[in-house]
Amino acid sequence: MLAGGLSLGAGLAAPPVRAEASGAKPEILTLVVNGDRVRLEVDVRASLLDTLRDRLRLTGTKKGCDQGACGACTVLLDGRRVLSCLTLAVMHEGSEVTTVEGLAEGDRLHPVQRAFVDHDGFQCGFCTSGQIMSAVGLLAERPRVTAAEIPELMSGNLCRCAAYSNIRDAIEAAAHLSREGE
Amino acid sequence: MAIGRPLSRVEARDKVTGAARYTADTRLPGMVYAALMSSAVSAGRVRAIDTARAEAAPGVLAVITHLNRPQWHSTPAALRYVETRFPLADEHIHHHGQYLAVVVAGTREQAAHAAGLVAVDYETRPAVPTLDAALPDAHQPVWRFEPEFPTLLALGDPEARLAAADVRLDLEYRTPYNSHAPMEPNATLAHWDGGSLTVHETSQQVHLDRPVIAGALGLPPDRVRVVSTLVGGAFGNKTAVWAHTLLAAVAARQVGRPVQLVVTRKQVFTCHGHQPPIIQRLRVGANRDGTLQAITHHTVNGTPVLFDRPEAAISPTGTVYALRSVGVRVEVAGMHMPAPATMRTPGDGPGMFAVGSALDEMAYALELDPIELRRRNHLAVHPLLGRPWSGKQLLECYDVGAERFGWERRAPRPRMMRDGADWVGFGMSSAQRLEHHAAARAAVEIRDDGSAEVRTAAPEIGTGNLTTLTQIAADGTGIAPSQVDIRSGDTTLPESAPTSGSRTTGSTGTAVHLAALRARQAAARLAVADPRSPLHGLPAERVGAARGRLYDVDVPRRGETYRDLLRRNGRRSIVEQGFHDPAGADPRFAYATFGAHFTEVRIDDTLRRVRVTRHVGVFAVGRVLNPKTARNQAQGGIIYALGGALMEDLATDPVTGRFIAPALTDYHVPVNADVGDIDVSFVEEPDYNAHPLGAKGLGEVVAVGVHASIANAVYHAIGIRVRDLPITPDKLLRP
Repeated sequence: MLAGGLSLGAGLAAPPVRAEASGAKPEILTLVVNGDRVRLEVDVRASLLDTLRDRLRLTGTKKGCDQGACGACTVLLDGRRVLSCLTLAVMHEGSEVTTVEGLAEGDRLHPVQRAFVDHDGFQCGFCTSGQIMSAVGLLAERPRVTAAEIPELMSGNLCRCAAYSNIRDAIEAAAHLSREGE
Repeated sequence: MAIGRPLSRVEARDKVTGAARYTADTRLPGMVYAALMSSAVSAGRVRAIDTARAEAAPGVLAVITHLNRPQWHSTPAALRYVETRFPLADEHIHHHGQYLAVVVAGTREQAAHAAGLVAVDYETRPAVPTLDAALPDAHQPVWRFEPEFPTLLALGDPEARLAAADVRLDLEYRTPYNSHAPMEPNATLAHWDGGSLTVHETSQQVHLDRPVIAGALGLPPDRVRVVSTLVGGAFGNKTAVWAHTLLAAVAARQVGRPVQLVVTRKQVFTCHGHQPPIIQRLRVGANRDGTLQAITHHTVNGTPVLFDRPEAAISPTGTVYALRSVGVRVEVAGMHMPAPATMRTPGDGPGMFAVGSALDEMAYALELDPIELRRRNHLAVHPLLGRPWSGKQLLECYDVGAERFGWERRAPRPRMMRDGADWVGFGMSSAQRLEHHAAARAAVEIRDDGSAEVRTAAPEIGTGNLTTLTQIAADGTGIAPSQVDIRSGDTTLPESAPTSGSRTTGSTGTAVHLAALRARQAAARLAVADPRSPLHGLPAERVGAARGRLYDVDVPRRGETYRDLLRRNGRRSIVEQGFHDPAGADPRFAYATFGAHFTEVRIDDTLRRVRVTRHVGVFAVGRVLNPKTARNQAQGGIIYALGGALMEDLATDPVTGRFIAPALTDYHVPVNADVGDIDVSFVEEPDYNAHPLGAKGLGEVVAVGVHASIANAVYHAIGIRVRDLPITPDKLLRP
């Protein structure tokens, strides 16, 4: 069960968008999202973020500002960290997108997710998906990142609850773990 | 024991996998989208509003303005509906950003596009743009929290005491607009079923929202359900019903479909609360022996032109230090500003910036160590109530903090500590927050599979209450926390205290504790009356509970599990209620939480940028329910206030009063790289006078006194006293 006991909307089919009514010519788009190929018709104005959330029902990725200032919408696009609110979906035909929902393997959490749980790397949790995706991207770019570098390299992701110390500890622990696993 | 253990949050897995569902993640079949159109002027009138282009835009289902809105019913009281004027009430404009229209459309993009097509012909009037411009209007507020939060108070004869004091200081402190800036924008999903309304809302207090929404719409309260499971940060900005909630509800009724309305980040900054600008004048008198003689504290804060809302910055003044004489006065001055809201930490946050700074200035004037000045004026008794403080381990907080920080290395005067290009400064302040209460109810159910469930409405806003309330129920029933579920954030559940004012632990926690104990006792009574139970015939008070099992406390081997007891008796579950009576604390004492802050800053001599490299916070909050979540919350509170001290300023245009850059790109909140080493510890002594669990509030006291501690460290580093926040480099650019 989801936290708070609410699971509204699970399993609902995506409603069709009446393309002719949107006021903008729709585009057919193919994306590979968390390993699944999806084909959908999108409003050309739709950001990648809104497409993930509204159309694909992947609401783990959060909209904190819609202005590229907070980092809550961070996803991996073809393996790189991007702010999904600042890019239009139609620009990414054929791209691979990984969201926070795509990290765990079944019940097994990704090492970064595990470390965020163990180190209490969040409070309200609203920025957490973005923090985790940023951290996953960071560790892929710099497997040997040092503790001293983490604060600067994670400063694109705001956390107003300010769990920053724990976020650093979690990333450091995850980095250590993945190096050990080499 | 589950209490006191550093358990991970019960919802942690959902939060790291994206499964955690917040208001804007919730969907309903047929849901459509609303967008709000905001006023571009600060004062004036809508001469004409043209919605034709918006209505004709693709996908648009409705455009609602003051001309065609449905009728509002009860007149709002300026408390839980923050304003005194309902949205779209008439053509008048009282602040910039005021909502002038709501547009509903089939998709998010269509709604946002059409909102931009609404054309307004404004009649613009001159605005009162700033607090300085409003000062001629300063007046004592008409305020419904009197007398609990007095706005005028005198103790003794402060003028005479000041005149007779050896040293007198007369100081002015200023704080700007600060924004809560929670990561989650306010959002509503409104859905009608016949004459009943369900509102999914980003709310800290579902039960307090319900009568406001029902009243506005002319519904009986039991026809309104408010749901708020997980909240993405609040800090006070979700302690009120805002305009968007009511507009989503009327829009949903009009289009006959569920309506989702998520406000934009810009709108969060403008129309969903802030801490208003405040000017504080303090006069302090002390004698050479370090005894404080008198203090006067006069504050003026900006308030909307339509109603008075004082920010009670005087709240710590009369109660934190021993003073022979106190005079406080709170005034407000009308500005064309949107409505403020309580913000972590209301009153005490800005108040202790001034009081904690003034104490530091007095310490230098008297050539005393700032801790020593505070020790000499330590207060064991609440001076207005005449009752001793319960659980005031403030002196221990000073000792522990000084030790952990290395205070003894502090140079006695400013500009004496240097490390390469950096000036280094040490500062400190004390912290205090009155322990507030609210009535709270909870239910605890013990089920025939050996598990339990807690039910209480308190939304989880990040404070960890799903976890701590689970721990409380686990200990009360003797069932492992992993076997305890919790449901929260819904008006169909028992009414908790609101998740604000640091009341969850003390008030809602007590209700859960009582419910759990009663459920356990009911099970014990069932067992001792049951001839088939191994506990049959024992006095019920000899029955203990642990690990899901009832047992004889004298012969622990003798007992049985809840599961066996309930199943044998054909009972699916046992449910009991708990009620926290706010009048329940021992009336012989006064209650608060306490703490001490110590800060090291480093200031580059050329750039004059202030960095907090180390901060030590020590807190006396009674018993700590979960050290893992508590430490996190305390660190977060310190950093929250660090933002207010060093960077946060919702700057305004001096002519129109509009916020110049209401965005997270320009309203800077602390980022990871801004944060140095934050060391948190607790002087842990249960306060059973306050609550049966011995635990008090935490979320607000941790953010009180931080501003002063940082400002005091800045002065110690370079000898410049900054009395107007934030402490930006431009204020330090002199030799």
